[in-house]
Amino acid sequence: QLQSKTIFPVDTIEDLSPGSSYCFKVQANLPREAKQGMFSPTSCVTNTQKVEEPLCATSLRVLAVNMEFQLLWEKQEDQEVNYNVQYLFGFLKRLNEDYSDKWLSVPGCENISSTWCNFSSIISPQGVYYLRVQARGGLNRSCLSREVQVDALKTNGIGPPGVKLELSDTWLHILISPPGGAQDEVMRTYYDLSYRIVYWKNSSNKEEEVRQKEVKQTIATVPDVSPSSLYCVKVQALLELYNKSSAYSQQECIHTPAGTPLPLIIFGIFMGALLVVLLVATPLVLMLYQAYNKIKYAFFPSCQPPLNIEGFGAQLLSSPYLPAAEEPVENCCVIESMVTEEGKQIDFTDCKHCKHSSRDSGNYSNDDNTAGSKGSKETLEKENV
Amino acid sequence: MNAFGLIQIGLMLSSTTIISSLQCNHLPLQQRKVIENSLRLLDKMGKKFPQQCLREKMPFRFPTQVLQPRRKETVGVAIEEIFQHIFYIFSKNLTLAAWDGTALDQFQNGLYLQIEQLEACVNRKHTQHHQSKEVSRLKLKKYFQKLDSFLRDKQHDLCSWEISRAEMRRCLQLIDKVTSKL
Repeated sequence: QLQSKTIFPVDTIEDLSPGSSYCFKVQANLPREAKQGMFSPTSCVTNTQKVEEPLCATSLRVLAVNMEFQLLWEKQEDQEVNYNVQYLFGFLKRLNEDYSDKWLSVPGCENISSTWCNFSSIISPQGVYYLRVQARGGLNRSCLSREVQVDALKTNGIGPPGVKLELSDTWLHILISPPGGAQDEVMRTYYDLSYRIVYWKNSSNKEEEVRQKEVKQTIATVPDVSPSSLYCVKVQALLELYNKSSAYSQQECIHTPAGTPLPLIIFGIFMGALLVVLLVATPLVLMLYQAYNKIKYAFFPSCQPPLNIEGFGAQLLSSPYLPAAEEPVENCCVIESMVTEEGKQIDFTDCKHCKHSSRDSGNYSNDDNTAGSKGSKETLEKENV
Repeated sequence: MNAFGLIQIGLMLSSTTIISSLQCNHLPLQQRKVIENSLRLLDKMGKKFPQQCLREKMPFRFPTQVLQPRRKETVGVAIEEIFQHIFYIFSKNLTLAAWDGTALDQFQNGLYLQIEQLEACVNRKHTQHHQSKEVSRLKLKKYFQKLDSFLRDKQHDLCSWEISRAEMRRCLQLIDKVTSKL
């Protein structure tokens, strides 16, 4: 079956099955101009059975965090093997030249027996590198391992950020320190990081739902935190460009202080205000009342002056001691009975508007004459009734 | 697969990196950093411009119109072309220049990474050919060929390299100015 691969001018095809025949043909392209060349003539080769070389370093892998790069590999043989780690600048593969003599040794990993190498010293942030391990054993045996490609910014892993918590009023401030360590300036320059904050409340041994927040800045706030609670936070750095995320930071927790409940505060303020008002208003009201009384006493007295004080003030209509100009009148009749010579009693009814007269009605005088008329008057009154 | 099976493998000679579209969006930002680094490394690899080489200085007349930001796409393609040319000029016959090898290698490596990424992204967009793009490319080709001929005529001696280095610094500074406006 036909397989296709993009290669450099000088390249290696790996993982061919031993004992199989392979045929190759090459096509040159100009991708920017969307041009494809013609295929070269086919060339075939049979893959001979390879003797397993136990000397070679295997399972090469790169561990990189915060621009600190480590190459790790595995030893197959249990004998004395010396390793020499080599690197190649990526651009050399693009040139139409043989680069086999351009491999350089990583400083500090030239003649080692350990199976790891820190190669951060040769790495520049913007660059592609190839690494391989040359194993040397007894009897002048040597073997070159497979190559591993390292695109510095892409291969590098993001370390966890640092977290600090601060409280102010009902706000929880989360202060994030970006990952970096020794290479924090490089991390800051080349990576546009965002952060995922995971936080939850632990109140009275009951864990509430975990909440998340994604921010771009290194300061975030959680508003309206409840009092007397334990809040826990952990943060993770995210790199959208290469879809990378760091490990979570250490979990940081903080206790919110016991707060005074709001209704109590309001009540306290209200009572205080009431007290102030009372203390200030009461004497003021009393003073005003006093003033009012004095004015009323002076200008609008409630008791009347005696009658013999002339020209005293206003009309005294309600005084019972002075004669009124106009009196309410009643219709009343005076019945006078007269005994005529014939001995008949003649009643004279004289109805007129009555007036108070100073004439004695004669009822109570001590005149003998009138005693009789009194008696007759009484009779008349009885008859009238 | 049986032991004597024939397996045909077609090989294509071009870029080997696979880049997501998200990375293509981040290219301008990365490009600025590459230019910054490249300028720094250009300065680092050699010493101050030697006075004796001033006599041999020659006007190369870089075609600044290719970087006019009339169309963002055209400028992007022009920048990629320039990176390619610089990369190839600095890839051989450097012995007499006697520059710092590590700085030079890092300079080349940075350019190379950017070229790869630009190539993959341009590929993806399948940009059509425009007359203006062709004119741009030809103008740049003419400029760099002039530089190449100059180096060859002087047999890649120290002065010719120092003059070329100064010229490339000017070129990158121009690109930096253009990309900062984009």
